Amino acid sequence: MPTSSPFLTPCATTTSNTLALISLKRDETIPALLHAPTPTDPSDPIANTRFGSYPHSTLLHLPWGTQVAASNVGARERKRGKKRKLAEVNNNPANASTTTAQEDETPAQEEPAFEAAASGFAHIVPPTPETWTASLPHRTQVVYTPDASYILQRIRARPGDKVIEAGAGSGSFTHAAVRCVFNGYPNSGDDEKVIRGRVYSFEYHEPRFQALQNEIKEHGLDGVVTVQHADVYAQGFSGAQDVTAIFLDLPAPWMAMSHLTRGGPTQGGPLHSDRPVCICSFSPCIEQAQRAAAKLRELGWVDVGMAAVQQRRIEVRRERIGLMEEGLRGVTAVPATVGEALGRLRELEGKTAVFNAKRKKNDKRDKGAINGHTTEMDVDARSGTVGDGAVNGHHENGEDMMSKKGLPSGSKQQRLKNNLEAAKARKLYKEGRLTHRTEPELKTHTSYLVFGMLPPEWTEEDETKAVAESLAFEKQEVQKRDKVEEVES
Amino acid sequence: MSWNNRTRIKPGDQAILKLPSGLLKPIEIKPNTIISIGKFGSFHTNSLIGRPFWRTYDILDLKDGEKHARLRVVPASDLNSETLSVDNTPQDDAPVKEDAEAAASANEKFDIVGEDGSIIMRNNRLTVDDTSRQALTMTEIEELKNAGTGSGKEVIAKIMAAHSALGEKTEFSLAKYTLRKSKKFLKRFTVLPMEVGTVAEYIMDKDSSRIMELRPESLGLVASWSNAHHAGNLDQVEGNPTQGRYMVVDDTGGLLVATLAERMGILYPPASEKEPTEQPDPDTNQDDDAMPDQVESTTDAHSGPSRPNPKDTYQAATSNTITVIHPHTQPNLSLLRYFGYILEDTSSSSHPLYSHLHNITWLQLLDPSADTVYSNPPPAVDADTLASWKPSKRGQHFRKLRRHTRTQRVADTTRAGGFDSLVVASFMQPASVLRHLVPLVKGGGQIVVYSPSIEPLTELMDYYSRERRGAYMKMMQERVATGLDVETCMDDEEEDFPVNPTLLLNPMLQTSRVVEWQVLPGRTHPLMTSRGGPEGYVFSATRVLPAIGKVNAKGNFSKKRKAEETVSESPKKLRVEHVEQTKETAATVVGADA
Ligand SMILES: C[S@@+](CC[C@H](N)C(=O)[O-])C[C@H]1O[C@@H](n2cnc3c(N)ncnc32)[C@H](O)[C@@H]1O
Repeated sequence: MPTSSPFLTPCATTTSNTLALISLKRDETIPALLHAPTPTDPSDPIANTRFGSYPHSTLLHLPWGTQVAASNVGARERKRGKKRKLAEVNNNPANASTTTAQEDETPAQEEPAFEAAASGFAHIVPPTPETWTASLPHRTQVVYTPDASYILQRIRARPGDKVIEAGAGSGSFTHAAVRCVFNGYPNSGDDEKVIRGRVYSFEYHEPRFQALQNEIKEHGLDGVVTVQHADVYAQGFSGAQDVTAIFLDLPAPWMAMSHLTRGGPTQGGPLHSDRPVCICSFSPCIEQAQRAAAKLRELGWVDVGMAAVQQRRIEVRRERIGLMEEGLRGVTAVPATVGEALGRLRELEGKTAVFNAKRKKNDKRDKGAINGHTTEMDVDARSGTVGDGAVNGHHENGEDMMSKKGLPSGSKQQRLKNNLEAAKARKLYKEGRLTHRTEPELKTHTSYLVFGMLPPEWTEEDETKAVAESLAFEKQEVQKRDKVEEVES
Repeated sequence: MSWNNRTRIKPGDQAILKLPSGLLKPIEIKPNTIISIGKFGSFHTNSLIGRPFWRTYDILDLKDGEKHARLRVVPASDLNSETLSVDNTPQDDAPVKEDAEAAASANEKFDIVGEDGSIIMRNNRLTVDDTSRQALTMTEIEELKNAGTGSGKEVIAKIMAAHSALGEKTEFSLAKYTLRKSKKFLKRFTVLPMEVGTVAEYIMDKDSSRIMELRPESLGLVASWSNAHHAGNLDQVEGNPTQGRYMVVDDTGGLLVATLAERMGILYPPASEKEPTEQPDPDTNQDDDAMPDQVESTTDAHSGPSRPNPKDTYQAATSNTITVIHPHTQPNLSLLRYFGYILEDTSSSSHPLYSHLHNITWLQLLDPSADTVYSNPPPAVDADTLASWKPSKRGQHFRKLRRHTRTQRVADTTRAGGFDSLVVASFMQPASVLRHLVPLVKGGGQIVVYSPSIEPLTELMDYYSRERRGAYMKMMQERVATGLDVETCMDDEEEDFPVNPTLLLNPMLQTSRVVEWQVLPGRTHPLMTSRGGPEGYVFSATRVLPAIGKVNAKGNFSKKRKAEETVSESPKKLRVEHVEQTKETAATVVGADA
């Protein structure tokens, strides 16, 4: 079985020695090279996350996309201690609730199984260039999907093509590029004739080069990506051949460009001898971009242009506004309409009138008694947010100012309580107005993208030949026509 | 090598001409044909044959005795040096030349340096902008052009010489002036092969609504998030008999299908040159047994003597496939003809899409028994009767049979699910599409929906919101707890949960916009105008298998829609004991997202 990459040709389930991503929440994904215990390496690594611990054994042999419960790692440790004491008398007790059904199928486990933790869930998803870009270990600045997707389209990286990438950095672009050019693994034997896509990746920083090379191996991509440790300014792109697309993410791209010459018997450069070649140079600063553009023009690349990608992620939420929202979370508890505001103010007027009337009565009955304290109502009246009329109906006459529970029905406390109670019956997820906005973190600039194309070779010789051929073709056509005319006449 | 990799133009090729004005014009290279490009002149197709794509050509003036104008391949250095004169300012160490071709190809590029020279402010204070300074009249210029004294360049030189105020002009505005003139008078064009990007650009200029105003940057996002790629060459990947099956709903006339097909290596027909042609996957012809044996023995009008009937390979590939679900009896994928593919046409049988592009109607997918083709096979006929029939009748019989078998096969495999991704660019309500198609995507697969405007997608995001998902899970738990039939769905629930919100992970909504720049020494800035219109939005998410699998995988389908249930993912694969973990699921999943 040739190596198969989970990026390109994933198996149906998670398997040992294969990269999987543990997705905890959006923008929080943890890569894990799954490991099943073997006789030589009986360990069961545990992925510890903010949302619980996931021993690899609980992540293996699952269909991709499965939701997995976190494990109570501590509980097992304790059990393991007990089990050792119990010795081997008790054969794998079935009391432990396993987290996966598939585990039952794996050969008899000597260790007690993990228990599901009380909280914590994750989804186990297959790696894609997008999810990898979002979760990879950053060794450098990386190219993100909005840029990579646009660049790869414009440099025409397609199945079967050969691509140069320098510098490789953290390998984010590498993974996006290899997906574009992949059209099969290089196979021994039958299909030698088929031209296979390949990414030639260059990095001069030794530790980064090592790290990427390891990743490429772990990801099963070593047949389709070649990582080389080289300084492309000085050494160019040796080893690369028949290249038709180039991506440069270098501090001084113009210093590498003169190495981009065509291959073939006379020149021996990395580029395809005949086909058009597309390039993108990626630089954060405009001065770099300008120099790159100038260099490309000088070297005979045409259609030299520049672009910048601006991407926004958009957040969608429901905006609930209104007095009935008071006391609920994530809302704006102001009147939703002028009508609601009026209603509330009128109600307040009514209540105040009743209250004043009462007070007058009380004053007569018990002069001075009220002076010592302020009532709830005064507070509410002053804060101007009195009443629960919008939801609970109006209490115009103040007759039931005191609810059965003893709270003043117009009190803020009671109102909030009523609102909370009412909210239980409401379908909050579909109330309010649907709104959208740009997400708080906004990338306004990534880099300038300088594009160019090296048109197919066309020499004097080609030209002379083409002219001759064209003339010959013409003559032939004329003769044909003459013949037809002869026959017709 | 396939079609698009070929560099030399051949008779019968489709191509797109890019004119100095930036205009695109699709043509066919029919031998012995004059192609007129309006004011830019005309040329003879024969003079293109054997010459390279991607190159820019000047139409030369007729010489004595010549019937047709000759073409000259413009060297790259010429293209880049048209304004070299202005760029020898020593401010930059690298010798820099102006890109005339780029300038010519995008009209805004130089017009944006307004006549008043807003960017050039320093030296042109004294220039007088007055057409009277142009000593040649328009008629004279016309005469010059018609006199055939030059391929435009000469005309420009004369005009420049006649311009009385040229001396006053700054270097910059002089360059600009030259360029503006060259755009008008150069008889020049570039020949591009048919590619998705170029075709999209052409349609965008002509009739953008036909492709739902799909900008290249949106197309790039859609293609990337869909994870569409070539299925590779492994006969079988562990546990995965098929690789690379993509489901598509396409109201862009086939642009979406073409984009994915380009990524999958099945858009361009193999070049007719002698290079070994590549079969994208080995099992193209596997479905022989789907056809009754007799087919082989009959003489079909279209089949060659010994080759297998091409009709048997129609839509028969099982890997690296695109399945289009369409609302009419026929899908509208007319743009595919630019890439040499005509649906249901045996003349396209050598095209990779012939076997790799499948299509079925919504009816065949959701209620196949109501579809005549699916449910009514032509009556069985024994060999003797067959032999007694006239060839035309026999042909008709087999056509029917073939159509029935194919429809059934495509519908059944589609209904069995297991797709790698679902990609949608449609005017239909996204939720109604996803409700039916998400269950057919395998766990870990990608869902991508494009919309020109944001509203349909905010609605969709809302259907997958955390709050709605929480409510849905609560409802399911209650149902399980009270022993209610989880497979019945009340009408009001359908209204509250148009889709099962637990089937997608990390729904994301984004938009991307590319700003083009003019990049010239000392004059680098964003272009001052670009295309308005819809921004274009992309929804993406990952299909997951929720822990309350059995409930959630099927809960959303009402009884009256039995058809869908068979369509939805087999619940057996999901773990039943997780139903008991439901409480935790609800609590923690919501918690984790908070
Ligand atoms: C910004 S990073 C590239 C990030 C990468 N594109 C990604 O998406 O992960 C630039 C890399 O170029 C490397 N580099 C710089 N100069 C180089 C040279 N002359 N030859 C090879 N690599 C070089 C640096 O070491 C660095 O890792």
